[in-house]
Amino acid sequence: MSFSQEVDPNVAPGAPPHRPRVPGRACSWRDPIRCRRGARPGGGGAGICVGTTPSSTGLRDDKLTPLSSSRLGTYGEGGSPGLLGGTPGEAVRHCSAPEDPIFRLSSLYPYLFPGIIKSRDMSRKRHRLVPETTGLKRRRKEGPVESDPLRGELGSARAAVSELMQLFPRGLFEDALPPIALRSQVYSLVPDRTVADRQLKELQEQGEIRIVQLGFDLDAHGIIFTEDYRTRVLKACDGRPYAGAVQKFLASVLPACGDLSFQQEQMTQTFGFRDSEITHLVNAGVLTVRDAGSWWLAVPGAGRFIKYFVKGRQAVLGMVRKAKYRELLLSELLGRRAPAVVRLGLTYHVHDLIGAQLVDCISTTSGTLLRLPET
Amino acid sequence: MLGFLSARQTGLEDPLRLRRAASTRRVLGLELNKDRDVERVHGGGINTLDIEPVEGRYMLSGGSDGVIVLYDLENSSRQPYYTCKAVCSVDRYHPDVHKYSVETVQWYPHDTGMFTSSSFDKTLKVWDTNTLQTADVFNFEETVYSHHMSPVSTKHCLVAVGTRGPKVQLCDLKSGSCSHILQGHRQEILAVSWSPRYDYILATASADSRVKLWDVRRASGCLITLDQHNGEKSQAVESANTAHNGKVNGLCFTSDGLHLLTVGTDNRMRLWNSSNGENTLVNYGKVCNNSKKGLKFTVSSGCSSEFVFVPYGSTIAVYTVYSGEQITMLKGHYKSVDCCVFQSNLQELYSGSRDCNILAWVPSLYEPVPDDDETTKSQLNPAFEDAWSSSDEG
Repeated sequence: MSFSQEVDPNVAPGAPPHRPRVPGRACSWRDPIRCRRGARPGGGGAGICVGTTPSSTGLRDDKLTPLSSSRLGTYGEGGSPGLLGGTPGEAVRHCSAPEDPIFRLSSLYPYLFPGIIKSRDMSRKRHRLVPETTGLKRRRKEGPVESDPLRGELGSARAAVSELMQLFPRGLFEDALPPIALRSQVYSLVPDRTVADRQLKELQEQGEIRIVQLGFDLDAHGIIFTEDYRTRVLKACDGRPYAGAVQKFLASVLPACGDLSFQQEQMTQTFGFRDSEITHLVNAGVLTVRDAGSWWLAVPGAGRFIKYFVKGRQAVLGMVRKAKYRELLLSELLGRRAPAVVRLGLTYHVHDLIGAQLVDCISTTSGTLLRLPET
Repeated sequence: MLGFLSARQTGLEDPLRLRRAASTRRVLGLELNKDRDVERVHGGGINTLDIEPVEGRYMLSGGSDGVIVLYDLENSSRQPYYTCKAVCSVDRYHPDVHKYSVETVQWYPHDTGMFTSSSFDKTLKVWDTNTLQTADVFNFEETVYSHHMSPVSTKHCLVAVGTRGPKVQLCDLKSGSCSHILQGHRQEILAVSWSPRYDYILATASADSRVKLWDVRRASGCLITLDQHNGEKSQAVESANTAHNGKVNGLCFTSDGLHLLTVGTDNRMRLWNSSNGENTLVNYGKVCNNSKKGLKFTVSSGCSSEFVFVPYGSTIAVYTVYSGEQITMLKGHYKSVDCCVFQSNLQELYSGSRDCNILAWVPSLYEPVPDDDETTKSQLNPAFEDAWSSSDEG
């Protein structure tokens, strides 16, 4: 019969999520009309017939028979003429149809009912957030998404560090500096920061990388491969008066202590350095003063790198700031010509900005968008 | 959820697991609800909130106008729409009201007969709730930023007070005077917190970027100074250890007392193992923090994975504690949020901000059905409706 034919087109592909009703709220037959906004006429009609309570409440059975006649009355009033859109005839026909098809329809209610047009995505997000068991369903974080120009890397911090070392411009420093990557750049390639931190810490403990405090920001840590560091430092101090102290440092302290900083007691007692030797190390640029009696590990000759880095970071941030609405598509930013101040390369700086959360990364249909945060 | 219920019924699962799963689910569904709000009494920004630990029913709030208000959070009306009313308040006309902004209020941990409040007028006042009179006043030389009384201790009634001076003062409620001074910090103390696990362990955070753990019975200085780099532990090193690269604004122990969370003006939040002071290196990303005073944040309790609610500008950021993932940002306030508290019985969050509002964030698990005009009528099955009428025609 026409009734069942009308049912079929309304079985939408992909049933909308089951919306548990607040129990005790019996539906009035006027509900479906209101909710029918934008639904197809046939579908609306079928929806109206079914009603809105799930069969579990059992109220529907009471409601159907006594009220179906009253519904005719409401239709007569022309409840929402705009919504019904010329289908009162069909709707009335549904009312007068025998009881069986209505009950059959009720079982299909979750598929037919178009649902209240109210923030469907929020409810979908919420259902995604609800954990199944004790495992949490994670919401997609608005972090760096797999955008083609930047993200080839998934997972390990080590692979990220190797990739970032490729970006470092060796020629700029005439190979006197080891390639330095920044911790914030690793964050932009590895999605979970805690995991990235832990993996970097493991690499540090294994002695594969050294983490160095870059002077301009207490938070910015540079990552260098230990081998590169060792070779460059030896080359830099070749033939100088402090070469002996530096070699002793590289041989004894570096493998033993993987920290960023060294203390007076450690240096004098554990490793047997005299004060004059420590002064040599500071002159060589291997140690920088942190506090009275403690020093940071440093890279000799890193001053130029830090200067270029700070200027370049400001310049790239300025490019985003000057854009209209203070936002730029990543692809557009990478396609622009870098200002002369940016010596280390646009990609290098962009990784750092994203990882340090100096720009917000928003995924759009045209790719990743970089926007300056409001605060 | 039904799976959990049937597993609990048949004994396959621990009842606690069901409770934890349900709490977690509710916390994930926190949002502003049009049915619940808190009466607006304050004329200035709200600096501090505290919910009493006994029943979770009464909430104290302290504002920058010096006013302290007591709210009843329980919904005793049958309506879903409920405003948490102010039961009483210490307003500007009260003879003992604080002269300047109230920075911290705290209920007496064991019952609601007493509460303490500290303020920029260099005093810590102890109030009797029923008569709303001050039972005792402690005066200090400097403005008081924060105070805390141990929530578990039965052996002592010490209130730790952090002031603008570098010394942490411990005031004894029994004797009415300051009994201890803890020295070690170099600048003002912005936050103090007792451990919820041990009676005598105290954590203090200061503007000199250091967080120190103390055992107050020990005469000779702090137990541990937290070091963000997890460097070598040695006595002389202590002076160089910093927990953050800026002022440390807020402290919060997790509910089991095994971990400590700190936030600093370097826009970072760190999780520490409170027994050995090790930085667990959980990375929460950038947690914006521009507060010049303390930031009061809170941790959930009773969920399967705990959440931390941190005021982040004019929103509240929710992170999982042990994995560092950001769950959501709760938006609703107009100005910067200063404090938030979690009611663990009902999994509700209350937050106070500079826009003089307290907002209640309530778990919403079901999509709200659009308001029906005939809600009241349709509650009743028409068969049972009273058709009696007093008019003669009836």
